[in-house]
Amino acid sequence: MPIRKLTLLALFTTLSLAIYAVESAVPPLVPIPGIKLGLANIITLFLLHRASARDALIVLCCRILLSALLFGQVLSLVYSIAGGLLSLTVMAITGTLLHKKQMYLTGALGGLTHNLGQLLTAYIITATAGVFSYLPFLILSGVFTGLFTGLCAGFLNRYLSAHLPF
Amino acid sequence: MKKFRIPNKNAALLTIFLAALCVGSLVCLLLPSESSDTYIAEIYQNGNLLMSIPLNHRQTETRTFTIEGENGCFNEVEIRQDSIRILSADCPDKLCIRQGFIHNSRLPITCLPNRLVIRLRPVSDDESRGWTPDTVTY
Repeated sequence: MPIRKLTLLALFTTLSLAIYAVESAVPPLVPIPGIKLGLANIITLFLLHRASARDALIVLCCRILLSALLFGQVLSLVYSIAGGLLSLTVMAITGTLLHKKQMYLTGALGGLTHNLGQLLTAYIITATAGVFSYLPFLILSGVFTGLFTGLCAGFLNRYLSAHLPF
Repeated sequence: MKKFRIPNKNAALLTIFLAALCVGSLVCLLLPSESSDTYIAEIYQNGNLLMSIPLNHRQTETRTFTIEGENGCFNEVEIRQDSIRILSADCPDKLCIRQGFIHNSRLPITCLPNRLVIRLRPVSDDESRGWTPDTVTY
């Protein structure tokens, strides 16, 4: 990996970590576990769009590990990995099927699958089928927060233009 | 200038799929949940039914007790005549406390860090009359 790219990816990891830190400092609006904006997904989407799925995966994994090390507990690491990897896989696949400008759709699908992955993990960990009562809330919040982060990623892509090497 | 592009077929399909999911969940949320006069509060830990406590009984008095889990984590539960809540807990996010009292079976209280789920199960009238502790777990 060229040093220039390595530095850039490190910079993006720091950026997404900072976004994540600021977001987790904001108290949750709804008392339902799993509902939050997921702003750090902006960076993942952007990298998926501009760089490659591999680069996005590297940055995502570094961000999740670092955030668990800095503010989280072991269990939140499990949820983040499940949601993050599932949504990254789905977004990487849909990103190839869609037009370049439709990042909001990729984002919405990513938000949705992120929440589904977390809900499945919650089911596996608590072994209680009752957690599926959260499904409608998580679908709605996933789609709408995903739309929002997708739009943000679109704007980021527009204004953070040509000077990046990827 | 940029040309306006007709959204491609995949995008249209995906939009329809997402919209259908959203409408479906909205319908689920707006549909009235099965309501009942009497509920049984069921407390699960790690998927095992720890206790089931009948609510809306005259003898149900306000009381609190503590549920301890692995690694010494705890949730303090308060039971009132028609509702149940988590009063305090050592989990980091405190979402279970913020959810407050639950009065119906719509949404369970979940404390994910402590793997605790509390839900209210509606009971039919004849079942509540001759109430016996049940051990149905799934």
